[in-house]
Amino acid sequence: MSTPGPERVPSTVKVGKTTGQGKPPSGGSGAGKPGGSRPTGKGGKGGKGRKPVTPVKVSGGRNWGPIAVAGLVVVVAVGIIGWGVFASVKSDKDKAVPWEERAAAITGLVNYRETNPDLVKGSQHKSGVLKYEQSPPVAGEHNPSWENCNGVVYTEPIPNEHAVHSLEHGTVWIAYRPDLPADQVATLAAKVEGKEKAMMSPFPGLTNAVSLQAWGYQLKVDSVDDPRIDEFVKALRVNASIEGPTALCDRGVSVTGSTPQG
Amino acid sequence: MSATVSVDTPAPAPSRFSYWIPVALVLGLVLGVAIGFLVPHGESLPADDSAEAGFARDMTTHHTQAVEMGLIAYAQASDPEVRTMGVDIALNQQGQIGMMQAWLREWDLQPTGNQPAMAWMPDGAGAVINGLMPGMATPEEMKKLRETTGIEGDRLFLQMMIKHHLGGVHMAQEVAEVSKDKEVVEAAQLTINSQQREMTDMKTLQEKLGAAS
Repeated sequence: MSTPGPERVPSTVKVGKTTGQGKPPSGGSGAGKPGGSRPTGKGGKGGKGRKPVTPVKVSGGRNWGPIAVAGLVVVVAVGIIGWGVFASVKSDKDKAVPWEERAAAITGLVNYRETNPDLVKGSQHKSGVLKYEQSPPVAGEHNPSWENCNGVVYTEPIPNEHAVHSLEHGTVWIAYRPDLPADQVATLAAKVEGKEKAMMSPFPGLTNAVSLQAWGYQLKVDSVDDPRIDEFVKALRVNASIEGPTALCDRGVSVTGSTPQG
Repeated sequence: MSATVSVDTPAPAPSRFSYWIPVALVLGLVLGVAIGFLVPHGESLPADDSAEAGFARDMTTHHTQAVEMGLIAYAQASDPEVRTMGVDIALNQQGQIGMMQAWLREWDLQPTGNQPAMAWMPDGAGAVINGLMPGMATPEEMKKLRETTGIEGDRLFLQMMIKHHLGGVHMAQEVAEVSKDKEVVEAAQLTINSQQREMTDMKTLQEKLGAAS
């Protein structure tokens, strides 16, 4: 370390550096002295009075050329990687449009969560017959028991007081006008069968052909073939649960008629 | 000032490195593209229409029915072993539902999406009959299970749950085959293991209790 070949010494422009750092280069004279500034090893010895040997030329540029190239390469590589990660994450995001946005895009959807926040608060258990502002109801107080709602096709009306509890658990309830022809009812049933958190029932007094309910949401349409029915089911089923996706839909009651069972 | 480094001979410097720059750039690009290809594929989250998301959603539905079947057995089976089997299956599968729903959250996805049931499986769509995935019981069968008590109910439960497990194992095998998500593949394998063991146990119980009429 302390004895570099005489030829190389000059290339050690570091002399200049040493001086730049503020330490008197004179200290370098102590050849092997450990106390000297870091570059002592090389520069210390030759740096002294070697100015005449000036083949310094390339050495200065040689240090910076590769560094610049390497730096550029790193920047380019990081850019490519960064773009790749960004693009993949972004494309995932694009595909999963939040359900609230998908719901908001449905023409004619009534969003009671916006207009009536008090109505959509959860956990309002109350036994017996209850009165609802909306028909069919979309939220509010309800009986402790929920109507069984895992893909259940009810052929008779079900009590509101249980159905509203099912809505709270994330169910989409398809209510239809009782006089709909059988084939139209079958069309609706195909949208319910096999789906958790989905149920349907006739609803006496309904003026539209179909009324869809989720907790705090309602959409009334005049045809069972209206594409908005599927949009409603896709956007709100389970997603609209205010008790999370694991709220229960079995173990409830399967009461029909208009009188709730508590 | 030993600023002697001055302008001595600037000419050789560029000529010496000029060919290195394009070479290094090309190398860097190749490296960058290679890494760029590896990184998103290895680390990106399953998309909304991925097999992983489809599996998590459909298996949740499939499991949900098994939970109900298990709870029916727990509530009303006459044979104590069948009752234990029922609650074991119900709680195990309910736990797995929670796990699968947690995946969806981690992947920034919602519990339900735009894809129809079983669309993630190669021949999935055709396997859905009346909205029911393989092995699932019809509403009529579920009604019958609720209404059948005594040893006949035990037999019916075993028959229906074995069929249900066969469908579930099939779905789990499919996702284990197509998915590269370590967590999903491991969980699918656990499902296969536990359901196959349970099927063995249920068949033993069938021998003890006799088959459903």
